[in-house]
Amino acid sequence: MDAKAEILSRYNAKVFKNRKDHILRVDRDTDGAQEIAANTRAVPGIMTNRGCCYAGCKGVVVGPIRDAVTITHGPIGCGFYTWGTRRNKARAGEDGKNFIQYCFSTDMQEPDIVFGGDKKLRRAIREAVEIFQPKTVFICSTCPVGLIGDDIHAVAAEAEKEFGITCTAFSCEGYKGVSQSAGHHIANNGLMKRIIGSNDTPPAAKFAVNLLGEYNIGGDGWEVERILKRVGYEIVSIFTGDGNIEGISRSHLSDLNLVQCHRSINYVAEMMKSAYGMDWLKVNFVGLDAICASLRGMAEYFGDDALKQRTEEVIAEELAAVAEDTAFLKSRLEGKTAALFVGGSRSHHYQTLLKEFGVRTVLAGYEFAHRDDYEGRSVLPDIKEDADSKNIEHLNVEKDPARYRVFLSPERYGELKQHIDLEEYRGMIRDMPDGSYVVDDLNHFETEAFTALLKPDIFFSGIKDKYVLQKGGTLSRQLHSYDYSGPYAGFRGAVLFGRDLVMGLYAPAWRLVVPPWKKQAGGTQAKGDLSHA
Amino acid sequence: MSSRIVNLNTNPCKMCMPLGAVNAFYGIARCMSLLHGSQGCSTYIRRHMATHYHEPVDIASSSLTEEGTVFGGERNLIRGLDNLIALYRPEVVAVATTCLAETIGEDVQAAVRARRESRPDCRTTVITVSTAGYSGTRYEGWFRALHALVSQTAMDPAPHAGVNVVTGPVSPADTRALKRLLREAGLTFTLLPDISDNLDGGCGGTYSRLPEGGTPLAAIARTAGARATLELATFVPEDASPGRLLEQQYGVPLFRLNLPVGLRDTDAFLTALEELGGTIPAGEYEERARYLDAMVDAHKHNALGRAAVFGEPDLVYGLTRLCCENGLLPAVAAGGADCPALKTALEEEIRPLAENTPSARFSVLNFADFDDIEAAVAENDVNLLIGSSDGRRAAHKHNIPLVRCAFPVHDHLGGQRIRVLGYAGAMRLLDAFANALIGSREASFRTEIYNRHCGGKPFGLFPERLDTGCAEPGSPDARAGALRAVPEKKDGKPGPSVVPAAARAVAGKHREAAVNNADKSATHPCFSASAARTCARIHLPVAPDCNIVCNYCVRGFSCPNENRPGVTAEVLTPPEALERFLRVRERMPALTVAGIAGPGDALANFAATTETLRLIRREDPDITFCLSTNGLLLPLYAAQLADLGVSHVTVTVNAADPAVGARIYRRATYMGMSFQGEAAAAMLISNQLAGLRLLTDAGIVCKANIVLIKGINEDHVEDVVRAVKSAGASVANIMQMIPVRGSAFEHLPLISNREHAALRRRCEKLLPQMHHCRQCRADAAGLLDEDQSYMLRGPVPASGAAPAAEAGCAAEAERAPAQVAVAPRNEVTEHAPVKVAVASRSGIVVDQHFGAAGQFHIYESDGLSTRLLETRRVGGNNLGCGMCGRGPLPEGPEDAEQGGGKIARALEAVADCRIVVVMRIGDSPSRRLAERGIAVFSTYDGIDKAVMDAVLARRDNIVAERARDAETV
Repeated sequence: MDAKAEILSRYNAKVFKNRKDHILRVDRDTDGAQEIAANTRAVPGIMTNRGCCYAGCKGVVVGPIRDAVTITHGPIGCGFYTWGTRRNKARAGEDGKNFIQYCFSTDMQEPDIVFGGDKKLRRAIREAVEIFQPKTVFICSTCPVGLIGDDIHAVAAEAEKEFGITCTAFSCEGYKGVSQSAGHHIANNGLMKRIIGSNDTPPAAKFAVNLLGEYNIGGDGWEVERILKRVGYEIVSIFTGDGNIEGISRSHLSDLNLVQCHRSINYVAEMMKSAYGMDWLKVNFVGLDAICASLRGMAEYFGDDALKQRTEEVIAEELAAVAEDTAFLKSRLEGKTAALFVGGSRSHHYQTLLKEFGVRTVLAGYEFAHRDDYEGRSVLPDIKEDADSKNIEHLNVEKDPARYRVFLSPERYGELKQHIDLEEYRGMIRDMPDGSYVVDDLNHFETEAFTALLKPDIFFSGIKDKYVLQKGGTLSRQLHSYDYSGPYAGFRGAVLFGRDLVMGLYAPAWRLVVPPWKKQAGGTQAKGDLSHA
Repeated sequence: MSSRIVNLNTNPCKMCMPLGAVNAFYGIARCMSLLHGSQGCSTYIRRHMATHYHEPVDIASSSLTEEGTVFGGERNLIRGLDNLIALYRPEVVAVATTCLAETIGEDVQAAVRARRESRPDCRTTVITVSTAGYSGTRYEGWFRALHALVSQTAMDPAPHAGVNVVTGPVSPADTRALKRLLREAGLTFTLLPDISDNLDGGCGGTYSRLPEGGTPLAAIARTAGARATLELATFVPEDASPGRLLEQQYGVPLFRLNLPVGLRDTDAFLTALEELGGTIPAGEYEERARYLDAMVDAHKHNALGRAAVFGEPDLVYGLTRLCCENGLLPAVAAGGADCPALKTALEEEIRPLAENTPSARFSVLNFADFDDIEAAVAENDVNLLIGSSDGRRAAHKHNIPLVRCAFPVHDHLGGQRIRVLGYAGAMRLLDAFANALIGSREASFRTEIYNRHCGGKPFGLFPERLDTGCAEPGSPDARAGALRAVPEKKDGKPGPSVVPAAARAVAGKHREAAVNNADKSATHPCFSASAARTCARIHLPVAPDCNIVCNYCVRGFSCPNENRPGVTAEVLTPPEALERFLRVRERMPALTVAGIAGPGDALANFAATTETLRLIRREDPDITFCLSTNGLLLPLYAAQLADLGVSHVTVTVNAADPAVGARIYRRATYMGMSFQGEAAAAMLISNQLAGLRLLTDAGIVCKANIVLIKGINEDHVEDVVRAVKSAGASVANIMQMIPVRGSAFEHLPLISNREHAALRRRCEKLLPQMHHCRQCRADAAGLLDEDQSYMLRGPVPASGAAPAAEAGCAAEAERAPAQVAVAPRNEVTEHAPVKVAVASRSGIVVDQHFGAAGQFHIYESDGLSTRLLETRRVGGNNLGCGMCGRGPLPEGPEDAEQGGGKIARALEAVADCRIVVVMRIGDSPSRRLAERGIAVFSTYDGIDKAVMDAVLARRDNIVAERARDAETV
């Protein structure tokens, strides 16, 4: 019996029916593409790792913008839980504004629920403006707000008039959609409607790009920025790690959108294509091969010979600089196996890097991805809208005639599309080894059961699984927050990532789990011990 | 009504209820929790607990989606329970609700009952607890969970010799220590809850999905027969107290003790154990002696500490008591939740120690966020932070060490191993406190000693009262300043020889003053927006006369109600001012500034001003002196102001061009001569600018107030800002003119908030702007947003008996009601003042239903200012002016009276009013009021704001109606 069958056999009929479509074993011999169910409701009670819509909007997309004051409209919990927990780094810009270390909440109390909280919100905005004087205020609503009917959009409009600032409200109540993913979409819509295209200051450099879906966890964005600047690109805006309102407001004047995390930000990329004619390119700055391919793809897009040459120079220098380190790390990591369960892109991105270190992936899954993230964008036309996704507004963006520019001729576009990921994401499954498992919305029970069956040396996940795994003797590294480390992206990040794996796998503690008197009595060693030593 | 005046929580010092509940349920054996709500709550809470405890934290969710919010979440809940039970086979499942479930009104108990009936074979006990995030904090959630466990478990009341021990949120390691102590004392006991193993387990290569440690349900069942309950929680709400429940339902005697933190409370706890038949283990005597030894050893470090303790009630109280018994002054003690009992207890605990400390200041905060705490930290020279890792940002910002000893600890390891209980816990804390203090002193003490003894600085036990910079010791500023001072002194360079020695001394003094004064800005509510929320000021109305006449100004000397500059309820003599100052200082620990702001001009009454400041300085060497002036006499008095210790001056400069000024100022009297028109303006402006230069040269921090007058100076304001900037002002405050009845500018249109904000933004580029001005009275006192001056005044005559007084408003009081009474509804001019009846029990907030109101406060308002006329009992006597007659008012159901009768009497009570402001009102009374031409305004808001809103809303309606009428004609 394979691992899938064994795990499903533990479920009752109803759960079985639900979960069987979310798990697949990669089989290269199957005719046609393998299909997986994704972005459907989590089964109640089985300990999903998923978060809520608010987490996707405030926590993921809107929160990292450093110079906007983001007020959580709701009881204290939600705001508190997103306070400095995602490790998205930021430094203040020239105006000195950086609110990343702050948590702003209207701290709704019982009377606010009974009599409405909009008055309190109004006053809270006033206080925020008076004390912090931000250029932009964002309001993110939590579960009760949608139910008691506070009109946060009206309050935002009033505040704009009164204070002459931008004030945008996001109705991202936790219960919307089936996971964080709904919140990403709502945040994308808000940024598109209110911020993008509101400032027409053009970029200065010849090659200007936006970096979409990079949240600067542990400084990833800064490492990518370093590399792109070396090649000669101007990064007009980053969505949204260490992002700022000014950059986002003039992002439509860049030449190209680079998409790192497809799941959380593809909406903006597509909407900017419709409105401004901007193309987007799927990139991956995790893993040396992937970085090189991304840089070459960008140079190809711009078609400039000097740029291509400079790209090759930078690649050669950067690779040479990390060669010794990566060779050492590979010698220590070769032959290990890994499982990955992260949000909506990283489970895929990190497989490239692991492969370079000789680590084989035995299982990978996404927490809140859609089918296209697994199977590639070619399945988009086949995805049926369900009740939950219909509830999330789909913005129909119209062409902005004044600002619409076409960078590539149709011929060149067609030609390029053949060999770079121009407006294309091919999904995770195609890069996974035969016989490995793909699991959507992996839960607590499955994590444990798959670990027992597949015995990976490392399980990349988040804090909720980490201790479950480590108590059982399997090393776990957090790929959401990088366990206080990072950056892991870029050339230098690859070295740091490898260093962290080696330190984890070779930690002396694993060898000391079983006391000597038990060894003598013929007790079995913990699994973690044997596999790492 | 909470004491919180702030609507924006900036960096919270509390967590939500569901977290507390699942945290406590982790102390029950083989128990799994399920949060009924959207799945984010589970995920966030798992994340938060796992980061602190470094343990698996598994909390299921009913994963409610939008559909669930519409059709109810019962199906999801039951499915969730089924799946959880099937997968984990727990003995207990605890269902805690979230904001979402509570807001849609889920009947969780009914759902659980229905499930039980349809699944008779299910052996799992399901406990439910209601924990809406908006109804309380982690602390209450914790106790509600325990209360639910005790009230919903099938009890076995057979008496036995065991003792129940209930704790609030304490760490696994502390729980383990407590268990060991109880065991060693020879008692049989049930710990409620026991998180020691489940949230601090070992690593042995195997992992159990169910939390196997903790108190089993069978033991909880037997709590009903225990000999006694010890509840180690001082502030547990009665309705969530498991001990109280056991006492009331099963007669188990309840003993409530403080959490055993520190010597006194551990002593009390051990005494209680002994009284319950336990024997105090010999080891504890030794531990006690060792702790005492540590107390003696550490006192020399701790007594130099000024701590800020923050967090949840029991722990803040325990830590505060531990600090106090070690001579470590808790200069700030703050609770994040709204718990007034904690505030009182903390004050009582700290005061005796503060009295034996040179710098006796301390502040106790209730319902505080870190913004409040940081402000208090700065104000009280705190050098040690004690609490959770949420204080790390404050620690970093203020360069103060933080001892992490409370949940959550997210940036350090060892959250599960925190030890605070018992003598051993106290000992660890004591070392941690002392070492943190030693650590920060180590970095700077050489420089400090050198500067203190060789740096020519004044010396004394009250460092912050000495006339030197009062930057915090150890802060980068202080150190930088100190280091700068050393080389100057060492080589004794005399500086450029052209400067005479005396002038050098003066310049030196002024430089020092400047540093000192700039520091004081941090606690001046008008010069620091963050201080505005925490620091209070008092305006002493000792300056009635003015030497110029402005077209927008009317001064009022006996008006209790108008809220604007130039108005006071009474003029005080300097001794009276001193007396008021002392009274206020006693009442408001946050008082940092004494100012003179008219009602006329502080310098035009220079004798009274000088005398007042001297009297106060004698009593309080520390308070910041501030005054506001039109600046005409500044060239004469600037130097004297510096000598008097004035650190902040506000000069009102409305024009930089005499031509513009001539339209604002009617007359100026200077050196016995009267000037008019441009001559007056030119002289005033040149004196203002020269005065600003003199003040700033003397190190005084200056602000320029600019009254923004539509059509007069709106285009000129930027020039004014430039002028005052070049004269040395460090901040500008552009204020909208308040059109005061009786002034020449009475009929000028108002500047819109938008124009105002835009102008401020433009000027921001030139000079920092004050954004939080409240345009206060000349006798204001308290926080900017919370004027308490009305509480300081003597009785004010009720409106009917008002003497025909000097200024506008009292005279209007007699005129206004008559106007309204004769004006038929559709002829009412929209600007006429109207009478407004407000249903309020508190007198602060509109908090009553029309039909339930026992009294109405009758206000008069024209939409610009609002005043209280009287308070009327429904169907009863007039209580007179609410301000004089403050105090508890009889209220409540009028016995056997029919509702209709009550409504009729309420209608009668408000018959002469045009507007009724209520929290709620029924359809019928609302209609009957409308028939009488009385507008109804429902709100839940502060009275002042509500009345203003109501008047403006009614005005809009009248204008709209008129427009409609005009159209139809």
